[in-house]
Amino acid sequence: MSKIVYVHTGGVNNPERSATPIYLATTAAAMDVEVGIYFTVNGPTLLKKGVPESLIVPKFDGQGAPLRRFIDQALDMGVKFYVCQPSLDLHGLTKDDLIDEVEMIGGAAFNDMALEADQVICF
Amino acid sequence: MTDAPTVDVTLDTKGLLCPMPIVKLAKAMKGMEASQVILMEATDPGAIPDVAAWSKNTGNPVVHQETVDKVMRFWIQKA
Repeated sequence: MSKIVYVHTGGVNNPERSATPIYLATTAAAMDVEVGIYFTVNGPTLLKKGVPESLIVPKFDGQGAPLRRFIDQALDMGVKFYVCQPSLDLHGLTKDDLIDEVEMIGGAAFNDMALEADQVICF
Repeated sequence: MTDAPTVDVTLDTKGLLCPMPIVKLAKAMKGMEASQVILMEATDPGAIPDVAAWSKNTGNPVVHQETVDKVMRFWIQKA
């Protein structure tokens, strides 16, 4: 099975950048690709409890959808969500502040994931 | 590509946009038996390259396709 790792650095201050890596990951999972998204830099702010429900992914006509919809589609297709501790510290977050579906990894585990993947795609 | 084969499952994704047609296709295929055929209808302008890419990567061949009045129809056989 092919593997892709998406690296998501966008946070709550850039809602227009929030959903794209997530729905591309969903599509990859639908293509029988093993997919993980590594949320780093500002990425973890998107996963803070309550944020996915309230953050609206904008659309030109004002009919945007909450980020939760994109996250649920991804999880439903088997996409794995990862964060690392330093990027949580950057925002004063702990693992308990995040939605339950997130897994903690460290830098070594991320690099190993990147070496094992067929492609790493950064946002 | 041959004539349209007998259809076992139909999937209407008209009006849905990327990535939902492909996600719904992947889910529908999971419930099917090998060699069964799904007829997928789509209006997403990216559907033709997307279905081709999905088919190439999953190994489920598109056995027939047509476009009538902006509605694309794909007959896909489960490998």
